[in-house]
Amino acid sequence: MSVLDLLARRRLVVVTGKGGTGKSTLAAALGRLLAGAGRKTLVVEVDPRESLHQALGVEPSGGEVVQAGEGLWIQNVQAQAVIEGLVREKVPVPFFARKITESPAFRHFVAGAPGFKETAVLGHAYRATRGHRTPRVEVVVLDAPASGHGASLLAAPALLALAAEGGQLGEVAAELAAFLADPAQCAIFLGTLAEEMPVQETLELLETLDSAGGPRVAMVCVNALFPPLPADLLEAVRQDLWGERRRLQERERARLRDRWEGPLAELPLLPLDRGPALTRDLATRLGEARW
Amino acid sequence: MVTPARVPAALDRPLLVVVGGGGVGKTTLAAALGVQSALAGKRTLVMTFDPSLRLKDALGVGEAARDRGVRVPLDAPGTLDASLLDAKATFDRLVSKYAPDPAAADRIFRNRFYRDLAGTLAGILEYMAMERLFEARAEGAHDRIILDTPPTRQALDFLQAPDRIVDFLDSRAVKMALDPIWERDPRSMSLPARLAARAGMEMADRTLGRRFLEDLVEFVRAFNPLFDGFRDRAEEVRRLLRDEGTLFLLVAGPGPDRIPDAMFFLRKLKEAGHRLGPLVVNQVHPPVENPRAGSPDLHPGLRLLAHLGSRDQEGLRQIRDLLPGPGSVLELPAQPRPPSDLPSLAALARAMLIQLDN
Ligand SMILES: Nc1ncnc2c1ncn2[C@@H]1O[C@H](COP(=O)(O)OP(=O)(O)OP(=O)(O)O)[C@@H](O)[C@H]1O
Ligand SMILES: [Mg+2]
Repeated sequence: MSVLDLLARRRLVVVTGKGGTGKSTLAAALGRLLAGAGRKTLVVEVDPRESLHQALGVEPSGGEVVQAGEGLWIQNVQAQAVIEGLVREKVPVPFFARKITESPAFRHFVAGAPGFKETAVLGHAYRATRGHRTPRVEVVVLDAPASGHGASLLAAPALLALAAEGGQLGEVAAELAAFLADPAQCAIFLGTLAEEMPVQETLELLETLDSAGGPRVAMVCVNALFPPLPADLLEAVRQDLWGERRRLQERERARLRDRWEGPLAELPLLPLDRGPALTRDLATRLGEARW
Repeated sequence: MVTPARVPAALDRPLLVVVGGGGVGKTTLAAALGVQSALAGKRTLVMTFDPSLRLKDALGVGEAARDRGVRVPLDAPGTLDASLLDAKATFDRLVSKYAPDPAAADRIFRNRFYRDLAGTLAGILEYMAMERLFEARAEGAHDRIILDTPPTRQALDFLQAPDRIVDFLDSRAVKMALDPIWERDPRSMSLPARLAARAGMEMADRTLGRRFLEDLVEFVRAFNPLFDGFRDRAEEVRRLLRDEGTLFLLVAGPGPDRIPDAMFFLRKLKEAGHRLGPLVVNQVHPPVENPRAGSPDLHPGLRLLAHLGSRDQEGLRQIRDLLPGPGSVLELPAQPRPPSDLPSLAALARAMLIQLDN
């Protein structure tokens, strides 16, 4: 089985994991891989500090859809903008739409209503899989926020469906929750490093998602592994850094494998800076991973 | 120890706030500074967010430290207390403490919004950290508090939490929730107001469902008695964070990739009126002296080491250019092993603070 087999029929891939472990890089590489295999792909980034475009060597999105290669697009999506877009759809008169979105009550509702922003972002990705306001793509890769927020993101539609039961919002949220929990359509990717805290967070997130009975993790990807270095070379560079890190890394890999028996890909730390070369290399390796 | 421990004047403040993105080592550095401060004779409290198991072991604090200070066994002229922040527990305690009577507290605990969502509510973790800080300050049992901050998507969320709460409490949304239209006597409203209210209600009802609105209203109402206290304390915390005695330490990862983020954060902190201490660049790889570093037949492992070394040194060079002046950038080498006991935490602090002495 390979990553492409695993994702063959999925329409949405959500990438999450601890902060700084390479989620955005992984999302970009997945996008490259899928597009390279002929599936039209949109990678959606939610972080307002845009970095996805750098990984693919294109201009920052600033909210627009930007083409990043054959069959590949990226877009930076902010919840506030999505929600305002929804209001404009419902309220076609621009003057009234603006009155609503600028009112303090609305702004506070959006900021404060639990799960609302998260659901809006997922809803945007969901609609994009149907070609709504974006190029008609076959699959959307969502570069989601880091674990804590990522878990709330994934739980948001179900919570909102419950809270707003009986209203249209509740119905939309329920539909979205069902879509997310459907393993035939959605896949959740957890990115991690083979270090103590990232592995800890990964194990906790696996547990949280398991017990919530909602979306399930499809695959775990261990990023930035230190390659082995022969003893004589280790001697030559006089860096105990290397040996120690390898020891910790092996311990953490074992800890992860102990708990996660599902699909797992491992990627090396490469001597490349953020950019298309790194993304391409990682995409190739992801494509070659087998289990 | 040969020389008595001290904390350089530049960092000798009653409140140090350690900020930065996820995974840069904030929690470890906060703990290290805490150890050093206790060694220098201060009664010190370190407030931290999910420390690793290793760090909990190093400090000797387990679950007992959840949400209250626990004395760290340290042989020092000062003392070190550590507490782990737990948003939900702080929230529960606040409710019990400030609710007018047990029945009101109970109403809040039973409200669906509170039960299912309090933990995930945006900004709650951040806000609760502020509440804990306020409590700890009010107790007055410490000369110095070192506050670790939660990893936030936009790290600034944290600092804006008090502002947002005050803003929210003053908002029309809250006032409306306290006096919902459907409970008002229609005769008390003018005809246009009544029509507008009915149209608004119908739309909200259609999209959100009546139950959502009712739960929300109940939640806000149940909370109302607590709100005044919230506002006052948020105001105090805002002041405290801009006080002369408060210093922010930004921790950043190495390499040129991280510089824009660090500069952005520094600018935002300054704009918000906070006082900045040195920038700490953590986990810097040493340069690799290898005559064949660029050759293609180099072992991939060596090529990686050489790359990391030159990447991090280049990052340091760039950041020092941007932040000239002695003591404005401190660097810490990539450690083979994260500090796992009190002496290695103290050593880490010394490695950092010694750079402020010359
Ligand atoms: N396998 C790898 N080899 C080399 N560098 C890598 C690798 N994976 C990630 N990086 C680098 O690590 C840094 C962080 O990666 P990235 O921005 O993808 O992390 P992230 O998890 O999205 O971070 P955040 O939580 O801040 O969004 C980037 O500079 C990236 O180029
Ligand atoms: Mg990212």
